[in-house]
Amino acid sequence: METMQAFDDGFATALAPEIVLVIGMFTLMIAPNLGDAKFRIPLTQIRIPWFFGGKRGALESDPRMPGLFASVFFVLAFLLAALSYVNGMNVTMIQSEGGHDLLLVNEFSRIFELIFYGALALASIASINRIPATSRNDRSALGLYNNRRQVDFYILLMTTGLGMSIVALAQDLFLLFIGLELASFSTYVLVSFMKETKEGTEAGMKYFIVGSVASGVGLYGLSLLYLWSGSLQFTELTIAFAENGMEPLPLIALGMLLVGFGFKVSAAPFHFAAPDAYAGATSPVAGVLATASKAMGVIGLLRILLVVASPEATDGAAVWLVALAVLSVVTMTWGNLAALGSTNPKRMLAYSSVAHAGYMLAAITAIGALNWEPEHLNVSNDAALAVVTALIFHLVVLVCFKLGAFLVLSILESEKGGHTLASLGGLAKREPFLAATMFIFMMSLAGVPPLSGFVSKLLVIMGIVKVALVDVTVSGNLTFSDVHWVWYLALLMVINSAISVFYYLRVGLVMFFHEPEAGREGPLPQGKSVRLAIFACLLTTLYFGVGAGQLIALCESAANALVGAW
Amino acid sequence: MAASAGSSVIVESTAAQYAPLIILLPMLAFPIILLFGKLYNGEKFWKDNLKEGGLIALPVMGASLLLALWLISDFIGAYGGVQKLSDWTWFTSSIWESGFATQEVSFGFGIHVDHITVLLLFVASFLCLLINTFAVGYMNTDPINDNRNHRFYAEFVLFCSGMLGMVLADSFLWLFIFWELMGLCSYLLIGFYYERPSAAYAAKKAFLTTRVGDVFLMVGLAMMWYLFGSLDYDVVFDKYEIKAVAETNASMLAWSLGLMFIGAVGKSAQFPLHVWLPDAMEGPTPVSALIHAATMVNAGLYLVARMFPFFGAEALHGELADLAFIIAAIGGTTAVMAAAIAFVQDDLKKVLAYSTMSQLAYIFTGLGAALYLANTLHWHEYLTDGTKNPDYYVNHAIVIVAFGAALFHLFNHAMAKGMLFMASGAVIHEVHHAHHHLHHHDHDESHHDTPEELIMLANYLEANGQTAFDFFSSIDLDGSGEIDTYEFQTALKKADVVDLPPWEMAPLMKALDLDGNGSINVPELDLTLGRIRKEIEEGHHDDHHDDFDAQSMDNMGGLASKMPLTATAMLVGSLSIMGFPLIGGFWSKEGIIANTWRVALEDPRFMYPALCVLLGAGMTGFYMSRMWLKTFAGSPKGEVAAHVGPTNTWIKTPLFILTFFSLAGILFASMGFTHWAPDIEYGLMSDHGGLWGGFLYEMEHVFANEKAFFFILTYVALFIGAVVGPGMALSLYGGALDEGEEAKAWFTPVLALNAAVKGRYHWDNSSFAQSGFATALSNRLYFDHYYDMAMLKIVAAFSFKSAEADSKVIDGTIKTIERTSQQLSTKLRALTTGSARDYILMAAVGTLTLFALIWGVIA
Repeated sequence: METMQAFDDGFATALAPEIVLVIGMFTLMIAPNLGDAKFRIPLTQIRIPWFFGGKRGALESDPRMPGLFASVFFVLAFLLAALSYVNGMNVTMIQSEGGHDLLLVNEFSRIFELIFYGALALASIASINRIPATSRNDRSALGLYNNRRQVDFYILLMTTGLGMSIVALAQDLFLLFIGLELASFSTYVLVSFMKETKEGTEAGMKYFIVGSVASGVGLYGLSLLYLWSGSLQFTELTIAFAENGMEPLPLIALGMLLVGFGFKVSAAPFHFAAPDAYAGATSPVAGVLATASKAMGVIGLLRILLVVASPEATDGAAVWLVALAVLSVVTMTWGNLAALGSTNPKRMLAYSSVAHAGYMLAAITAIGALNWEPEHLNVSNDAALAVVTALIFHLVVLVCFKLGAFLVLSILESEKGGHTLASLGGLAKREPFLAATMFIFMMSLAGVPPLSGFVSKLLVIMGIVKVALVDVTVSGNLTFSDVHWVWYLALLMVINSAISVFYYLRVGLVMFFHEPEAGREGPLPQGKSVRLAIFACLLTTLYFGVGAGQLIALCESAANALVGAW
Repeated sequence: MAASAGSSVIVESTAAQYAPLIILLPMLAFPIILLFGKLYNGEKFWKDNLKEGGLIALPVMGASLLLALWLISDFIGAYGGVQKLSDWTWFTSSIWESGFATQEVSFGFGIHVDHITVLLLFVASFLCLLINTFAVGYMNTDPINDNRNHRFYAEFVLFCSGMLGMVLADSFLWLFIFWELMGLCSYLLIGFYYERPSAAYAAKKAFLTTRVGDVFLMVGLAMMWYLFGSLDYDVVFDKYEIKAVAETNASMLAWSLGLMFIGAVGKSAQFPLHVWLPDAMEGPTPVSALIHAATMVNAGLYLVARMFPFFGAEALHGELADLAFIIAAIGGTTAVMAAAIAFVQDDLKKVLAYSTMSQLAYIFTGLGAALYLANTLHWHEYLTDGTKNPDYYVNHAIVIVAFGAALFHLFNHAMAKGMLFMASGAVIHEVHHAHHHLHHHDHDESHHDTPEELIMLANYLEANGQTAFDFFSSIDLDGSGEIDTYEFQTALKKADVVDLPPWEMAPLMKALDLDGNGSINVPELDLTLGRIRKEIEEGHHDDHHDDFDAQSMDNMGGLASKMPLTATAMLVGSLSIMGFPLIGGFWSKEGIIANTWRVALEDPRFMYPALCVLLGAGMTGFYMSRMWLKTFAGSPKGEVAAHVGPTNTWIKTPLFILTFFSLAGILFASMGFTHWAPDIEYGLMSDHGGLWGGFLYEMEHVFANEKAFFFILTYVALFIGAVVGPGMALSLYGGALDEGEEAKAWFTPVLALNAAVKGRYHWDNSSFAQSGFATALSNRLYFDHYYDMAMLKIVAAFSFKSAEADSKVIDGTIKTIERTSQQLSTKLRALTTGSARDYILMAAVGTLTLFALIWGVIA
C-alpha cells in the first residue's frame, strides 16, 4: 500500500475520477457563460478578449450542451475508475499532514466508484432527452427558463457523484458523513427539480425533512462516538470498540448511526419518504436514488457494522445482530407487501427497492452471526467473504435492471404516463422491443434465471446459508440444532421473492395483455439517448446473468479488500 | 456441468471454440424470426424476399453446418479420442453431501466430441439445412400456410438447436434439457395446423406418449446422479468411477440405464411407446414428418449409443448383458411389427412412418447386439488384473464392427429416410396441386359457398319443426322487422346452434343478406334457408375437395414419367432402406444382421431378435417396393394422377443431394464407416490402405466371408431382402407405364421386370387381405384402442380427482395467501399517509425499537 499526502506525486492518478468530476463541474459552470465579450482597458482603445459574457456561440448556448458534457465527464470518470483495474490495483492511502487516514483507494472503493459513475452516467445520458429543453432560439419565458436550468441539473448530478465517491473512499467517519451529506443535499434538490409540479416539490420537501432528521440523528451518534473515543478514524474506532465496546455510549451511537444509514438504504420504518420521493422525482433521478444512493448507504452500514463494530471484536454474535435481523425481516416483508398493492409503477419500484434493502440487510446480519473462535476462523472468513461478495454483486447488477426499469418509465413519463400501471397497457403492441426489455428487467428483479438478478439473489442466499452452516462445517455433523438461525433469513428471502414475483409479473401482464389507454395508441416519443441507456442496461442485465464469472471475481477482490481490513 | 478431472483428452481446437455457436445461432434465430414474423406479417418483402423467415433460417442453418463440418474435420484430423471442449461455467455452487462435507458443483455448459457425436452432428446439421431448403419450396407455395410460415420456421430453428445441442452436450443433464426442447418443438410442429382437431390430437398424443418415456429417463438420470454424484460424461464415463460404482451398486446402475432406455423407446417410437409416430404425420406434410424420421427419432438411438462406455467397461463385465438383450428384443419386436403394419397402409406417409419405426428398430437391435458383445467380451487391451489380454485383437475388432454397423445404419437410414420423406412430400404437394387445378373450375359453379353454421341452423329448425318466420320473430329483439348481427349472434347462441364471436359473423350475414343492406329480413332468411335445406336433401354438400386424399397411394400411380427426379430419389431411397446390394443401407443392414446372429450363436436368447431382423429384411423389401410401385409404376389411378407436373427447384435440390448420399453407400463403407471408432486403427480412411483398399476389404468381407456361417447368412439375407420381398411386391403391384409415357432410362429395368413378373406370377392375396389379421394390422394392432381404454379407466379418473384436489386444496391455499397479502398490503400502505410528520413519528418508533433490541442483547 502506498501512503501519501494530498497533492503528493500520484495523488492525481489515485483520485483521477474525482478530479475529473470537479473539472467537469467547473466546466459546466463556466461554459454556458462564455461568449465573445471583450474587456476594454480603461482610457485606452485596447480591447482584450475576456470571454465571460457577450454573444454566445452555438455550442455554449445549446441547451443540450450541459447534458452532453456531463455524460462525457461521467463516462470519463467511469473509464478512469475501470482503468485502474488494468495492470493491477494500486492501493493508495491518502493521509492528512497529521498522519490520519483520510481516503483509501482500493478494490472496494473502486468498485463502488464504478457503481456510482455507471448509474450517474446512465441517468445523465437518459436525461438529455428527458429534462425539457427547447431550441436555443426559443425566447418564450418557459423555454428560456427550462434551458437556463439545464446546467443546474447536471452540476447537481456531479456533486452527487462526488459525495458518493467520498463515502466510498473515506477512512474517517467524519469524512464519510461529509460525503454522505454532499450527496444527500444534491439529491434533495434533484428530487424537487421539477418545482412547477406539485408532486415534485412535495416529494422533495418530505424527502428533505425526513432525511435531515435521519442525518441529524446520525450526526448526533457520530458526536457521541467522538466523545467516547476521541477519534473518528475507522482504525482507532475499531480498536476502541474491541476494548470496551459494551459501554452504553458507543452502543447508543451505533443505534443512531443505524438510523442515519437505514434512511439512506430505505430500510423500514425509515423508508416512508422514499416512495413519495421516487414518485415525485423524474425517473432517471429516482433510478439513481434506488441504486447509487442505496449503495452509498450500504457502504455506511458496512463500515459502521463490520469495520467499526466488527463482529470479530465481540465474542460470539455481534451486538447488533438481533436488531439488524429484525430490521431486515421487517424491511423485506414490508417492501414486498406494500408493493403488491401499488398501482403506480414508480412507487412499486420504490417498494421493491425497500424489499431489496431488506435482502441486503439480511446478508449483513448473517455476517454478524459468524463465529470467530480460532478453529472457526478460516471457515468464517470464507463465509464472510461470500456474503460481502454477494452484496457487492447485488449492488452492481441493481444498476443494470433497476435503473433500466426506471429509464423505461422515463420514456413513458415523456408522454405524461408512467404514474399508473394502466399507462403501461399495450406497450407490447406499441413498442415491442421496449416492452420485452421492461419484461426482462422485471424478471431480473424477480430473480428469474438466467438473468443477473437471479445470480445476485442466489449468491446472497448461498452466502447466508454458508454462514448458517459454519458450525456444521467445522464440526462435521449435520444436526439441525447446529445450524444457525440466520438460516431463516434465507428462507424468508425465498418466500419474499415468491411474493414479489406477483407484482413484477403484473407489469408484464399489463404490457402484453392489456389494451393501451385511450390516446396512447401510437409509438412512444423518441429519445435516442435514453433508449441507448436502456439498451446498455439490457445488455448488462443479460451479460452479468450469463457470464457472471468475471464480475463475481471483481466483487470478490473488492470484498477481500474490505474483509481484509477487519 | 462440473469440470472435474476425467479421463478424457482435452485437445485445443479452434473449431471447438466456436462449437457453441452451432447451437446458439439457430437458437437466436428463433426469437428473431418470430418477432419479425409478427411485425411484418403479410408484407411483400417479408413474404417474397425472405420467404416469411425461411431465408433467415437458411443461412443460419448453413452457418451451423459449416461450423459443424469444421469441428468434424478437426476431430477426424486429430483422431481425437474423446474431446471435451469449450467449458463454460455459469456459476459454482456447493451441494450438501450426506452429513459431512460440501461438494462443489459447477453449472455450465461444455462440448463433448467423440465419434458418436460427430456422426450425429453431421446428420443433424446436414439434414436440418436440407429440410430448410425443402421447406422453402414446400411451405411457401401452399396458400394454406400464408402468413404463418414464420411460426413454422421459428419452431423449426428452435428444434434444430435442440437437436444439435443434445448431440454436442457434455452431460446427461444438458442432453435431457435439449431432449425436452426437441419434445416441445415436436409438439408445436405436429400441431402446426392446430385448428384441425386431428392435428391437435396428434400433437397431444406425441407429447404425452414421449413424456411417459421421459419420466423414466428422468428417474434413470436421478439414479445415475445418486450413483456418480454427477451427470457429466467426464465423470460418469470415467472408468475408475464406473469401477467404484460397479463394486457397490452394479444392479442399480443397470436399472438406471434400463430406465433411461425406456426414455429412448419413447423418443424413437419403439414398441410399446410407438403409437405417436404415425399420428405425427399430421404436421406440415414432409417437414415435420422428416423431423420425425431423420433427426429427432435418432435422439433415442443416440442416448443408447451414449451408454456404450458403461457396457464396454471391464468393471461391469457381464452385468449388463440382460439389458442388452432387452434392447435387442424390443428392437426385433418393433422391426417385425411395424413392417407388418406397413403392409396394409395406403397412405404414402404412413408407410414411411412405419418404415421409420421398423428401421429404427433395426438400429436398436444392432446396438443391443453390439452392447452385448461389448459387455460380455474381454475387448480391452489389459484385463482388470493388469495382464495383457490375449484375445484383445479379435474381440476389440468384433465390438468395434458391431457398434459401427449400428451407427452406420443410423447414418444411412437418416439420409435415405430424409430423402424419401421429402420425395413423398413432393409427390403429395404436386398431387394436391393437380387436384386443386382440376377441380377449381367446377367448384365455382356448383358449390355455393354456404357457411357451415347456416347448415347447422337449417338442420336445427328442421329438427324442431320451426319455420323461418317463427325463428325470425323469436330473435327480432327490438321488433324492427330486420335483424342485425348482434341479434343474429344472440339467437344462434341461444338456440345452441353455434356460439360465434362477432367478427366471425360477417360471412353468415353476407350469405343471408341478399339485398346487401346490412341486416336480414324474413324473406331473405326464408329463401336462403329453403335453398340450403334443398341442397342438403340433394346431398349437394359433401365437399369432394375434402374427400380427396392427396396422400393416398390409391390416387397415384404412373408418376415415374411425370416426376422423374422424385421417382429416382424414391427409388434410390427405397433400395437403400431395403438393403439392396452396394447401395447405402445394404452395408449397415448386413452388418446388423450378421452381428445379431453372431450373438445368437453365443446366447440362444438372441435367436429371437436375430430371426426378427432376418424376417424383417424380407418384409422391408416387400413394403418399400409396394410403396414405390403403387406410386410410380402402372397406370395413373384416377384423373388427378394423370395431371401431376414436376416440382420446383427448392424441393429438387435436397432430393438431388440426398440421392447422391444414398447411392454413395459404397463410398462411405470403403471409407471405413462400418467400423468407425475413435482410434487410429479404426478411424476413417485409416486402415486397409485408403479408399480402394477399404473397398476391396468391405467387398471381400461381405460377399466372400471366410467363415462359412456368415457367408451363408449374407446370401440368405440378401435373398430374402432383395429378392423374395420385392419379388412379391413386383408380382402384386404396379405394372408398365401407360402408352406414350416416357420414363428415364434407369426405370426401364424396374418397370420391365415389374411388367414381366406381374403378368406371370400374379398370385391372389385376397384371402389375406380379408382376414382378421389384415384388419388388425390396418387398425394398428389395436394399440391405440387399448391405450385409450386404459387412459379413460385409470388415468382420466385419477386426473379428475387430482383436478379437484388442485382446485380445492392447492388453489384454495394460494388464494388465501393472495387475499391475505393483498389485505396486508392495503393496511401497510395506509401507514404511508403522505404527511412528513407521520414519517418522522414512524422513524422515531423504529429508532426506539432498535435501541430496545440492542439493549436486549446486552442485558
